[in-house]
Amino acid sequence: MFKALLKPITDLRAWIRGWSGGLGRRKIPTQIIQLGVIFLAVGVGMFVMRQKFVPETFGDLGHYRGAAVAANAALEPRYSGWQECAICHPDKVETKNKSFHRTVSCEACHGPASDHANRPMRLRPELPVGREPCLACHRYLVSRPTGFPQVIEERHNPVRACTSCHDAHDPTPPERIQECSACHNTIARSKAVSPHAPLDCEVCHEAPAEHKVQPRAHVPKKPFEREFCGTCHAREATPPELIRGVDLTVYEIPRIDLTTHGGTFVCWQCHYQHSPEAR
Amino acid sequence: MDPEHLAQLESALGQVTGFIYPNEVELHWSILIVIYPYLTGLVAGAFILASLERVFNVKELQPTYRLALLTALAFLIVAPMPLQAHLGHPERAFEIFLTPNSASAMAMFGFVYAWYLMVVLLMEIWFDYRADLVRWRQSDKGVMKLVHWVISLGSRDISPAAVAFDRKAVQFITIVGIPSAFLLHGYVGFIFGSVKANPWWSSVLMPIVFLFSAIVSGISMVLLIYYVTTLLRRKALDMKCLNTLASFLLYTLIIDLSLEALDFIHRLYESEESIEILEQLIFGKLFLSLTIVQILLGTIVPIVFLAAARFSELPNEMKRMIYFVAAVLVQVGIFSTRWNVVIGGQLFSKSLRGLTAYKLEFGGQEGLLVAVGLLVLPFVILALLLKILPPWEDATTDPDPEPSEAQLT
Repeated sequence: MFKALLKPITDLRAWIRGWSGGLGRRKIPTQIIQLGVIFLAVGVGMFVMRQKFVPETFGDLGHYRGAAVAANAALEPRYSGWQECAICHPDKVETKNKSFHRTVSCEACHGPASDHANRPMRLRPELPVGREPCLACHRYLVSRPTGFPQVIEERHNPVRACTSCHDAHDPTPPERIQECSACHNTIARSKAVSPHAPLDCEVCHEAPAEHKVQPRAHVPKKPFEREFCGTCHAREATPPELIRGVDLTVYEIPRIDLTTHGGTFVCWQCHYQHSPEAR
Repeated sequence: MDPEHLAQLESALGQVTGFIYPNEVELHWSILIVIYPYLTGLVAGAFILASLERVFNVKELQPTYRLALLTALAFLIVAPMPLQAHLGHPERAFEIFLTPNSASAMAMFGFVYAWYLMVVLLMEIWFDYRADLVRWRQSDKGVMKLVHWVISLGSRDISPAAVAFDRKAVQFITIVGIPSAFLLHGYVGFIFGSVKANPWWSSVLMPIVFLFSAIVSGISMVLLIYYVTTLLRRKALDMKCLNTLASFLLYTLIIDLSLEALDFIHRLYESEESIEILEQLIFGKLFLSLTIVQILLGTIVPIVFLAAARFSELPNEMKRMIYFVAAVLVQVGIFSTRWNVVIGGQLFSKSLRGLTAYKLEFGGQEGLLVAVGLLVLPFVILALLLKILPPWEDATTDPDPEPSEAQLT
């Protein structure tokens, strides 16, 4: 059976051998013919596979299928952009654009609304329900910047929908934040159990009133020299008896010689001022 | 996020020291990428050993010539598997051949691999075995007859002219094969050496260091396989051959150590900004695997052992034992070399300010089990190849006489 199957190959070999011999050249060794057939088969296989599997526009623009660009460009856009919303809902867009949510696009909460813009009455955009859509941005996460409004959902009015207290188009909190601890919670907690607990934040930080409205635009001041700490802690200093209502005479304030203590370092390079270790 | 993944991330976070970027906590190139250069190195090393006999006429190595070729083939077949297990979707692998991307060093490796497998290794083995295959077929029965017939591609010609042509072809392919073997493993070194953002990898010496460690690993692996297979076959070990193998292993180990030392001294003298974090790496996370295992146990101890055994008047039994132990130590050392390059290069932050840790999984696609499987697989393939293409001199139909007592000593 093998011989019958092999007949075309043996015929071919005989033919090649006859052909090469007929030319009067040296006979091609059979090994070369055998390997030649294999390499030819691999070469032809590669050629056929390339024809079959490589997309027509491959390499036109780069090492990818060129037609993919056109195919993606042809996709119907699903988002229309807030300018489109403003045509029919100018009041809502105006309120939002003046509020803390001015950088949030309408479709961030209401979902892609290009269909709605095309056929306003037939296809309605989503109305966000429950707490989850708000928590996507306002859930407490350590990696979020201090000062960004965040809630721990289990503690912050559980179950109640956010919109029952907050207006998403103008999310100014119902009560204006008064205390520094609302944003600088970690610092406030450290300070509360430290020897500096009786001191208000404003003793060291002069904070403009606008800081509570626009925290990054109006930054509070920080002490920048050793002498500032020295007003209370220098050996010869006479601290004011009362600092913002605190009677300092009842405290035993640690004293140092400003001229020799700590060389040229500023105090906060060694001491953490919100929880100083010396008592 | 997947809770299992989160738990894993948390345990890795516990190991982090200093400052590192969030995407550096977990290592992306796992133990499978350690195995890949390890296997490729063995291929190149085994082939270069085989070429010593054929091209450089080191006749003492005759008993290991075919064994080295088959070892190279067995490891070459497995070499791309860790990459495919790591990347996933092995069914798409052929596409790198259909649409060659000359701008990607990794993609072009497919062609280097294909060239080495098809043009160098398979052809050399085929030419070398062809006459034997024809002879074996005449005495074979059953499946083996068919297998030998298929492998011989239906050859029948064993005339002196045809055998002479085979010999010439082998000679020619080996000469082409030496630069190809250098290319194969030098290329793996190049892939790491060309990562300019990583100070642990980025070095022009990388391809050369890889190449010499490949030769070291190949020679010691063939020595081990020759040792074990000969014992299993209850034959006498050719002591001349073992001595020559040990000598070559010793010389290449010394070159390898010198190159590594050169690289180290060069880095130390340059003292680029990365030197501090690399110092922390070498004396901290990599102290055991680099200083103790790679340099001390994997290089210096084998050098001392081999030199002591090779140039002393010890009895042959003792020498063999020492060669064997040295070769095992070299294998462990080379594996940890690959580990230190691949894993070590990902342990420090691009900020050069912090270190992370690698946690090896047990199961899973990139776990210990898969890794062990991939390390065992070449030996299974080799056992099969030894069955089909016995490399022993007594298997050929016109055998040389059994090694005499004089040869054994």
